[in-house]
Amino acid sequence: MKDLKTGAKLHPAAQMYATEHADGKLSRREFLTRTTALGVSAAAAYGLIGLPAPAQAQEAKVGGKIRVAMEVKGTKDPRLADWPQIANIYRGWLEYLIQYNNDGSFEGRLLESWEANEDATQYILKVRPGITWNNGDPFTADDVVRNFARWTDGNVEGNAMASRFPGLVDPETKTLRDGAVVKVDDMTVQLNLTASDIAVVPNLADYPAAVVHSSFQDGQDPSTNPIGTGPYVPQEVSVGQRAILVRAPNHTWWGGTAPLDEIHYIDFGTDPAAMVALFSSDEVDANYESVGEFIDILDGMGLVKEELVTASTIVVRMNSTSDLYKDRAVRSAIQLAVDPKVVLELGYNNLGATGENHHMFPIHPEYPELPKQVINPAGLMPALEAAGLKDVEFEVISLDDGWEAATTAAVQAQLKDAGMKIKHTVMPGSTFWNDWQKYPFSSTTWNHRPLAVQNMSLAYTSTGSWNETGMANPEFDALMAQALAIADADKRRELAAKMGTILQEEGYIINPFSRSLYSHHKEGFAGLEHHPSFEHHHYKWSMA
Amino acid sequence: MGLFVLRRLGVMLLTAIALTFVVFYLTNLPPNLEKLARTEGSVRMTDEAVQDWIVKNGHSGSIFLRYGQWLGVVPGWTYTDEKGQSRGRCFQIGQDPALAPRYCGLLQGNWGYSTFFKAPVAGSLGAKLAATGWLMLAVMLVMVPTSLLLGVLSGMREGSVTDRTLSTFSIATTATPEYVSGVILVALFATASTGISPLLASYGLIEPNKTLFLASATSAMDKITFWNFTLPVMTIALYGIGYIARMTRASMTEVMTQQYIRTARLKGVPFRSVVMKHALRNALIAPFTVIMLQFPWLLNGVVIVESLFNYKGFGWTLVQAASNNDIPLLLACSVVAVIVVLMTQLISDIGYVFLNPRIRLA
Repeated sequence: MKDLKTGAKLHPAAQMYATEHADGKLSRREFLTRTTALGVSAAAAYGLIGLPAPAQAQEAKVGGKIRVAMEVKGTKDPRLADWPQIANIYRGWLEYLIQYNNDGSFEGRLLESWEANEDATQYILKVRPGITWNNGDPFTADDVVRNFARWTDGNVEGNAMASRFPGLVDPETKTLRDGAVVKVDDMTVQLNLTASDIAVVPNLADYPAAVVHSSFQDGQDPSTNPIGTGPYVPQEVSVGQRAILVRAPNHTWWGGTAPLDEIHYIDFGTDPAAMVALFSSDEVDANYESVGEFIDILDGMGLVKEELVTASTIVVRMNSTSDLYKDRAVRSAIQLAVDPKVVLELGYNNLGATGENHHMFPIHPEYPELPKQVINPAGLMPALEAAGLKDVEFEVISLDDGWEAATTAAVQAQLKDAGMKIKHTVMPGSTFWNDWQKYPFSSTTWNHRPLAVQNMSLAYTSTGSWNETGMANPEFDALMAQALAIADADKRRELAAKMGTILQEEGYIINPFSRSLYSHHKEGFAGLEHHPSFEHHHYKWSMA
Repeated sequence: MGLFVLRRLGVMLLTAIALTFVVFYLTNLPPNLEKLARTEGSVRMTDEAVQDWIVKNGHSGSIFLRYGQWLGVVPGWTYTDEKGQSRGRCFQIGQDPALAPRYCGLLQGNWGYSTFFKAPVAGSLGAKLAATGWLMLAVMLVMVPTSLLLGVLSGMREGSVTDRTLSTFSIATTATPEYVSGVILVALFATASTGISPLLASYGLIEPNKTLFLASATSAMDKITFWNFTLPVMTIALYGIGYIARMTRASMTEVMTQQYIRTARLKGVPFRSVVMKHALRNALIAPFTVIMLQFPWLLNGVVIVESLFNYKGFGWTLVQAASNNDIPLLLACSVVAVIVVLMTQLISDIGYVFLNPRIRLA
């Protein structure tokens, strides 16, 4: 236990990262992501690299309301939440142990601090004192332990958290292992993992990891009995119409006073053209996301633009269960016939950066620099001919939504130019997502995750729950198991380079670009910075 | 008469049962249940989890028994998991299953729980029907007088310039489907950069960057104004106006050739009086049926228009229910549709008797 001191001792790796940052090996965002994931407070992290912590906004003006255009989906048991929009509503009253901020750092919310041991197999979590639920109960270590049991329950169909903490789960019962999460005292919880896991902190910050009260029943809609620790409560949640958050009555929020009195989410559908009309007719103050050509139009209307470069991306992937894409040579030829630059321009108006067909981006701490792939459209037809697929008509499937469809169409056009017979089928979201993992060739959007290994372990290991390619490469699986035990991003980078190479060589995915994300709001509001995973941090919002 | 109405109500009941069973069967096909599981559980569930979800949430077993549960003649399903927590048809998670009734279907006045709205069907569908009711009322108020006037005017003197002009207008509007006319109207009246709004803005009649009408009727859910309600109403009304006007015209021209009209004119009755007193009542019999037939047509029209203008009424609900495979909501929607169609037919049959004394109800 000697290297698990819960005092203010800095994690040894933090100092090392600071040196790397000084040498220019680490960007500021990467430095912050890594050190804060190790339990160093954001202020201390900024201090290590000789920067002042970003000044807390001056006392924000209290009062006012905001109307945000966002799809209002039904709230459901947080661990089942499958869209950030769902979480953005219950975020009003349910809070998180740890929060991922849009500068790449992790901030303790319900936790005051946390500390990992050197090989990331043991974490000490310190509960923030003085937090109460809005029914008056104090928030203690018991609440933390109980929520870990909820998250790790793999017997619940659709539990998005179940696969996140493999080191805490008993594989026999698919529930929390005895002794995995221990209450040390009322304010301290200790996690004992069976294997190193560096993703514990990012996972605790992800949107299904909202912390619920002991009276919450499994599977219940959290808005029916809104007991939480947060500053707001739901006044109304009408699916497809609107949701209204108002200040929780008779509740002293631990964070002080959240500035806005009311937050209205109004569902105007998903048509981006409607958003222009809504802003011009003063129906909304802010939107959820601005896309494509509408970014310029909204800029032109004098709205404030929020921009954020992320690792959100689109993957146009083949699936090995289809006879057409069984052959690695075919897959590689298809992958290399598509020029990411062209796809970025046609599919997303150049509002992002090109990708390298391995689902890792410079924003990730372990991003490896791999030799550039050579785009070779001329190689496509010989490969198809060799596989006897010259006259087969291929099909690529996508959502019918704006940029997903445009990107997929750009991929299809390039393959067509290279000589392949291929058609593009679009589907509405209601049918598309039913079989999204099974289509032979289709496009999927992937949200930003703080560490590259997080997406890669979900999507490309043979046991990954969101594996949509059918890829099962034992070498990749073994490398991933190792990588997930290495907290040091530099060492992990070597493995990441190998995994990236495997992904490129397997040829399952065309990963043309990562997106910048944008949203717009009217002047007169502050704190509405865009977040890499579309999280709305309501307490930061205020009238300017 | 009483027997006639009674018989009609009986037909309505049988139709409703037949139709709801068909809808129930279709929504309970395995792929549709899988879709439901994925929207309710999680989009990214595995196949095994989906099958598990279907069993644990009362969607397995004989389809007749499940339909019986909806009717309320078979006890509602319950499921208790390994942690002792129960869920079931007749109570919500968190309520005590022991206090819940055994039967909870239509016969007990329970329309079920909408998986999409996360609320009881009766309440949420009621509110949506009220919204559509306002839309239909506004449409009827615009459509019926306008179309009758146009029809009578053009049928009065067949072949005249008025007739040709009005006929061209009616044919054009009725030949344009709602999804086309809606888009055209939005482009013309509700866009800040095209159509007549920038023109009006440059004359200073409306504020710059504002539009004459609003392209979204969402705010009409709270407060109906000319600004937010004109376009959806006009989109539906235009289609009906042309159709009813054509029918009225046909019927009017036929009446105007009758012997008694000629007699009246030869007697020296003024033309105005001939039209108002002698022709109109006889000419309105056919349009009356057509207007009644428009109610079911309106139900059809609102599906498109409510989606287009984001007005959350019955049509929008139907679209959401279908795309989320919300079984109880779809069943309730079909019952509503059956009632609307057969009730308007009943009214039109009874109304006929009053307009045309030659017809008697058996």
